[in-house]
Amino acid sequence: MKRRLMAATATAALLTAVTACGSGPAESAADGFEGQTLTLWAMDGSTPKQWEKDVRAAFEKKTGAKLKLEVQQWNGIQQKITTALSESEPPDVIEVGNTQTPAYAKTGGLADLGDLRKSIGADWTESVNKSAVYGGKQYAAPWYTVNRTVIYNKRIWAEAGLKGTPRTRAEFFDALDAIEKKTDAEPLYLPGQNWYFFDGLLIGKDAGLVRKQGGKWVSNLSAPEAGEAMKLYAKYASYSDAPKDKDEATPQQAEVFAKGKTGAFIGLGWEAGTAVEANPKIEKDIGYFTIPGESPDKPEGVFLGGSNLAVAAGSEKQELAREFLKIALSDEFEGALAKEGGVIPNKASLQKQVEGNPAAEAAAPAVAGGGLTPLIPQWAAVENPPNPVKRYMTAVLKGTPHAEAAESVEQEINKRLSQEQ
Amino acid sequence: MSVQTHEAPTSARSSPTVTPPGSAPAPGNDGARRRGALPYVLLLPALVATAVFLGWPLVMNGMLSFQNLNMTQLIQHVTEWTGTDNYSRTLGSEDFWRVTLRSILFTVVNVVVIMVGGTLTGLLLARLGPRMRLLLSAGLVLAWAMPVIAATTVYQWLFAQRFGVVNWLLDAAGLHSMADYNWTGGQLSTFFVISLLIVWTSVPFVAVNLYAATTTIPRELYEAAALDGAGAWQGFRTVTLPFLRPFLLVTTFLEVIWIFKAFPHIFAVNEGGPDRLTETLPVYAFVEGVGNQHYGTGAAISVLTILILLALMAYYLRIALKQEEDEQ
Amino acid sequence: MKGPQLGRLRGRLWPNAAALVLFAGFVFPVYWMFSTALKPNSQIISEEPVWFPSSPTFEHFATAVRAEHFWTLVRNSVTVTLLAVGLALLIALFSAFALARMRFRGRKGVILTFMIAQMAPWEVMVIAIYMTVRDADMLNSLVPLTLFYTVMVLPLTILTLRGYVAAVPKELEESAMVDGCGRTQAFRKVIFPLLAPGLMATSLFGFITAWNEFPMVLILNKDAEAQTLPLWLSRFQTAFGDDWGATMAAASLFALPILVLFLYLQRKAVGGLTAGAVKG
Repeated sequence: MKRRLMAATATAALLTAVTACGSGPAESAADGFEGQTLTLWAMDGSTPKQWEKDVRAAFEKKTGAKLKLEVQQWNGIQQKITTALSESEPPDVIEVGNTQTPAYAKTGGLADLGDLRKSIGADWTESVNKSAVYGGKQYAAPWYTVNRTVIYNKRIWAEAGLKGTPRTRAEFFDALDAIEKKTDAEPLYLPGQNWYFFDGLLIGKDAGLVRKQGGKWVSNLSAPEAGEAMKLYAKYASYSDAPKDKDEATPQQAEVFAKGKTGAFIGLGWEAGTAVEANPKIEKDIGYFTIPGESPDKPEGVFLGGSNLAVAAGSEKQELAREFLKIALSDEFEGALAKEGGVIPNKASLQKQVEGNPAAEAAAPAVAGGGLTPLIPQWAAVENPPNPVKRYMTAVLKGTPHAEAAESVEQEINKRLSQEQ
Repeated sequence: MSVQTHEAPTSARSSPTVTPPGSAPAPGNDGARRRGALPYVLLLPALVATAVFLGWPLVMNGMLSFQNLNMTQLIQHVTEWTGTDNYSRTLGSEDFWRVTLRSILFTVVNVVVIMVGGTLTGLLLARLGPRMRLLLSAGLVLAWAMPVIAATTVYQWLFAQRFGVVNWLLDAAGLHSMADYNWTGGQLSTFFVISLLIVWTSVPFVAVNLYAATTTIPRELYEAAALDGAGAWQGFRTVTLPFLRPFLLVTTFLEVIWIFKAFPHIFAVNEGGPDRLTETLPVYAFVEGVGNQHYGTGAAISVLTILILLALMAYYLRIALKQEEDEQ
Repeated sequence: MKGPQLGRLRGRLWPNAAALVLFAGFVFPVYWMFSTALKPNSQIISEEPVWFPSSPTFEHFATAVRAEHFWTLVRNSVTVTLLAVGLALLIALFSAFALARMRFRGRKGVILTFMIAQMAPWEVMVIAIYMTVRDADMLNSLVPLTLFYTVMVLPLTILTLRGYVAAVPKELEESAMVDGCGRTQAFRKVIFPLLAPGLMATSLFGFITAWNEFPMVLILNKDAEAQTLPLWLSRFQTAFGDDWGATMAAASLFALPILVLFLYLQRKAVGGLTAGAVKG
């Protein structure tokens, strides 16, 4: 768990000191939660070490309660959260992916956080908060967003005689060609089902994943723009020996990269930490740049992945859960998270915190052109494994024409979009 | 499931080939009244446990299959009866029938391979000298005992696209197009890996028990056959085969059932992929129910799966019960 | 003279050759698991397979064991497995005795019930089981897990043990009773020792079932401290998908107890089996 340590240590130490001063003797007579334990489900990679330590200390000091963090894996998480929300003792606070939040909001399994929005959420970034609102009610608190960048191996790039990083897509392809020709390395590691990268390309082409048809949401995958985005994806994938029918988590692409035989991969900032954990020697070779677009002034479209923090409606610790959110989402800790984790914080005023974090600096220019998956409750079902969009991608990469491949999965997508949740 | 596969020597055991004659319970006249209640008392714990922990979930599963049960209903604990909607939707979907047909084909192919392979291996065991027999038995037992999840992991490694030893061997054998072959990329190749895994874990059971059964064939029968001028093949046909018939019949049906409901093998190798093309009925029920969170539909599929299983079992149960009577 | 001798030699050669090939085929995956686990990464990820781990290392095992809660999971797995098997044997012994030695109304119905129960497709019922356990407020506990595993292995245990009980010569039991033993005592002193191989064989199958079970614990016990080893192995595989050394080490650790138990017990069980058969 050494992830995201890059820039953090000094600031973190400073922040700890601030925390210690902030919660002076006046508050040490905690708020009557002694003996309670708050359970937090956070996804793998979401809670940087120092941040976790500081938030825990602040929370336990303020409330007198204990914090139990249970790190979850993405694989199978939807099913796990659904059943957990139905239980009598659900986890109290749950990190929910932004694309999945509307589905859970609709089930009534998440508590209404309207009060929290009033007290601490006035300046949450509107576009980021959108995914946490369903039917006019606030069902979660926006926590952070992330977007993908190119993570590359400087040593291999130097070996290929490359100087600087590409600013346009064409330059990027030239660089990959150079690596292919001049080194033994695989220019790019891109498995066939890195579907969030594909979503970014779709966003770059302005191709929506769904459209309304007769009052119902239906798949828009067969649109020609989607085909163009996929063509681009295929071009990238042609530089990779990665399996066409696997996503970036099987195997973890960062671990492949860590072996030092890959020129670059497209991933999230924290994945560099995973690579370093697997092979500490790679750390000095890691560099980042924004995924380039058509022209230097407009980077590639990106999927603004992100997470919200929700409170289980069935939790008996509603008060305590809100206390936790107030601490974790305070400017102090939200800023620390942005700084340490290199993620985009939930309010614009904290954006400058990411300065000096190379991953975050590379990610930032693309945010303006970023987008999401459709914010409709039905969408989460489409992403359930086996995700039909991923099937489409594999089919195209194996030579099926775009229209045919899209057609073969659209029925499944439409079925999922029309099913009751 | 290999789990159950392991259990099977027992059924072989309870088949007449192994059970010594004369062990059938003789209805005694002594203390008949005391005995009147005793068997029920002795059976009570087992029956109660089975009723509570198997019977109830079955009933519950049946009830769920008539409900509209998705994320919302599960989370809110609401019961929405929808009559036979789940069934009509399932039975009306092309997918279900395709998967059913696939499950049956999958079962037939694997059972044939297992029974033929297992029988040949068992007969081979009978022909070997003691030392070779011990060696081969040890090998069989190792494969047989391998826990399913460990086995699926190992097979994924054997068939890995990069650095997998199978691809290397094929390449070395001159099939250079196989050097980087992606086994889980296609339907047939994925089924090949799954089937190999299932055959590998199931053949030992058939072989070892078949061998045990052959040891009970009286030598005199062969001698008599030889006197009649029968060769090895005829000896096999006139003596071995008839003697093993009940064993082979029961074993075949056990295998049919185990293969039909095999779950971890298929799910662990490629989760029913690629493109859901290797889903058999149990996997389909799981993916639709738990995976896609349409628990009511999943329950309906699982009820249908159980019904098909029962239909498959009916024949086996009749045979088994008949043997039961013969024993008496 | 020469012809028949050569023929006999060939007749002995091909079964042995076939046996060797089969042996290699059946053992290789197990061998490859252990050998990969022992090889350093450079030998695992090599263009030419390394057939023998010439410089064995235990680093992969260290990685595998380092996982969070590993020892808790080991304890849980062992507890659940032993309890389920013990409980099943105890309950089954009563039933097996009744079914093998007594005649009563409904006997065939009971046998039929257990035969059907033996075939239950547990995996497709996980949601029903989950909702039952959830509504009984027993999630994240080893108790329901133990009980379900007990019932999972119970039918087969009963049907098997019944065969073994039936194989004990009735005369032995009767002569013991003549010697002044009660029915209980006759059972304990005469039948039980004869049943030992049967008990071992049966428990083996129970061990494997309970040790392997996966879909149920996945949905019932979300609390990491209430989980069992199959979950650890599968999670390990997703997390370390490309690290075959560590994955194989984990698989080896998971398989080893069962392999050892099987090799040890199988000999006794088969011994008991053939002995009984010869006697019969």
